[in-house]
Amino acid sequence: MLGLGADLLWADMNRLLAFLFHQGVLDEQFLQLQQLQDHTSPNFVSEVVNIYFHESEKLLTNLRSLLMEREFSDYKKIEIHLNQFIGSSSSIGAKRVTSICIAFRAASEQDNRAGCLRALEMLEHEYCYLKNKLHELFQIEQQRALAAGVRYPMQQHQ
Amino acid sequence: MPASLQSSGEFPAGLRVLVVDDDVTTLKIIEQMSLRCHYQVTTCSEATVALKILRERKGCFDVVLSDVHMPDMDGYKLLEHVGLEMDLPVIMMSVDDRTSTVMKGIRHGACDFFIKPVRMEELRNIWQHVARKILNENKEHDNSGSIEDNDRNTQGNDDNDNTSSVAGATKGIVKEQKKRSNLKDEDVELENDDPSASKKPRVVWSVELHQQFVSAVNQLGLDKAVPKRILEMMNVPGLTRENVASHLQKFRLYLKRLSVVAHQQNGMLNTVHGTIESKLAATGRYDIQALAGSGHVSPETLAALQAELLGHPATNIMPTVDRTALMHASVQGTKHSLADDHAVACGQPLVKYPSNIVNNFPQSILKVDDSSSIYGAWPPSSTLGSVSSGRLGVQNNNTLVDILQHQQQHQHQQKQQQSQIHDQNRSINVQPSCLVVPAQSSNTFQAVNSVASVNKDCSFSRNAIIDYSQSSQKSSNSSSSSQYPGGETRATSISPQISSFSVGSRNNNIQQIQNSTLTFGAARPLPGLLPLTLRQVPYDIKSSDSLDEVCLRNLGFVGKGTCIPSFENKIQSSANDFSQMKVFMASNGNTVKEELEEEPSLIRYPNASQPVLQNYPSHDHSSAFT
Repeated sequence: MLGLGADLLWADMNRLLAFLFHQGVLDEQFLQLQQLQDHTSPNFVSEVVNIYFHESEKLLTNLRSLLMEREFSDYKKIEIHLNQFIGSSSSIGAKRVTSICIAFRAASEQDNRAGCLRALEMLEHEYCYLKNKLHELFQIEQQRALAAGVRYPMQQHQ
Repeated sequence: MPASLQSSGEFPAGLRVLVVDDDVTTLKIIEQMSLRCHYQVTTCSEATVALKILRERKGCFDVVLSDVHMPDMDGYKLLEHVGLEMDLPVIMMSVDDRTSTVMKGIRHGACDFFIKPVRMEELRNIWQHVARKILNENKEHDNSGSIEDNDRNTQGNDDNDNTSSVAGATKGIVKEQKKRSNLKDEDVELENDDPSASKKPRVVWSVELHQQFVSAVNQLGLDKAVPKRILEMMNVPGLTRENVASHLQKFRLYLKRLSVVAHQQNGMLNTVHGTIESKLAATGRYDIQALAGSGHVSPETLAALQAELLGHPATNIMPTVDRTALMHASVQGTKHSLADDHAVACGQPLVKYPSNIVNNFPQSILKVDDSSSIYGAWPPSSTLGSVSSGRLGVQNNNTLVDILQHQQQHQHQQKQQQSQIHDQNRSINVQPSCLVVPAQSSNTFQAVNSVASVNKDCSFSRNAIIDYSQSSQKSSNSSSSSQYPGGETRATSISPQISSFSVGSRNNNIQQIQNSTLTFGAARPLPGLLPLTLRQVPYDIKSSDSLDEVCLRNLGFVGKGTCIPSFENKIQSSANDFSQMKVFMASNGNTVKEELEEEPSLIRYPNASQPVLQNYPSHDHSSAFT
């Protein structure tokens, strides 16, 4: 029964992943990430993604405070932040966040403050969406691991 | 050599990688990937810390993977330090995939450039840079030979086949650009406005320094001499591996060229000599009209010449002519008519000498540094620039060329007097924009000393030519008169400006080589050495009390290496010229300075001559700059 549950969870996970890929939220870089996860680092993906969330939130806060300054002019700094954001987002395969960041960067290169603000809002929205979805994914995975883990000792005892 | 390669049962495994990135996420991912590749990975989120680690644990890493954008230290800066201090392959990575960014990385010496996200496939392959570096170090000499091969191919071309020669030359240039990393240069795009500021001091290859260099090379053996070892042996503070590397490369090219020339010498000498002689004899002296009539400067020729100016070694349009022959020609020319006629020559080197010879100029340039390329790039429209050929000579290590240059300069002055400026159209590469700044006007030989100093700095360079051209326009009056052996000369009046130009170029190698020649010549007798010896002439003149003596001495010296008859007159004349010539690089520092900077300069000049640019294979690169 429990094994069956794990399989179901596995299917759920795959469905969610397929959905995120289909929507363009994630790309194949995320699969690379998953392939890097092995017995030596069983939680690699979630570890990395949590680091990513942590860093990203700092970046988003910085970006917002920069853009909210009354006499805003430091587009250079914005670009630096964005470059880092792009780097980390693309590294985990957060495709849509990455592309919004690129648009954001383009706006800041043109000193387009309105464009920057719009991009920032989109970015925040997209980031939240990604975060929720990935959390969902990790939860399913956790349950699955749990289910699988429960099944394993049971098999042993049988 | 990294231990990992020696115990190469499973070579890529155990590769010691240092990853530097301020982005922790990326760092974590790359770390994991590296572990998957069985590398020994060290991660570091700050560039300064990374540099510290690298310094403290020298030899503990095989390859460095570094981000470009980092808050505490620019990735390029780190790259530069690593390149200079530990000679490690550095791979840059960035989300910024613009060509300019990547190009900047390449120019700073990155051996590879990853666009983020970094993928497993890329990472799995980075060991190749380590392996390549090791192999390259083992046979660096062969490397320079590849250029030479290209060279020979080009030589096979007919003289008239200019287009293909240009193509060959361009190819060569690109090749060279790839080979060299331009660490010193800041990003040109950013710096066009203010060239004088923020440049690092150039290394001046003084005679002493070059001697040290040569003795180090001799001690190590030319084949085994690698920049790092040479640097260690020289033990000169402030000198970087890059300086030595580029100098070594030039040195090798130079030697190579010498040996090639030596082979050609026998066969070619007679022909060329004959041609020139006959021509000279027929005309007696050239006057401008005659030259104009006789000489056709076809666009192709110009293009070829420009390509040559680019300073690429591969460019031998006219294989047959060798330097000695050229020398003869020039000497004879001098004899026949030192004065006005030559002014013409200055104006139109192409015309004056049979095309083959003209082409030859560039050939000697071979070893030239890239800066010359800039010249080549200049729009042909510039006036009076004919002097450029003289410039070529300067660039060259070849004494011959130098001498020619001197003559030409001399002639040029005369020319100015005669106000034969109308030649301008034919002038090849002079950039009008250069300004000549009057320095202290020195009459005739007084200048000698100052000249010497200039040379010491090795600042004497092609730029001089430019200056001349400019000056010619400006200067109509003359202060000092000197008699030229040719006798035909009108009173040679040298305008103050002209008389005191100091060449402010960097042309590092050229001058210094002279000494090395001596040493080196001792080590292995190359017939090709001759030019070098000749080269010394100017120096001697400076230092010497009386020009005549100097000339004589030099002559003797020359004779030792290769017997070249009857230099006296010529040398004297050149000496005169030389003494009076202090070329001063004036304003317009931007262009000139840039040019002087380093090789890849070609790219920087958007207004570069069309043919060259067109041939320039890598469009993406150039586009970035234009």
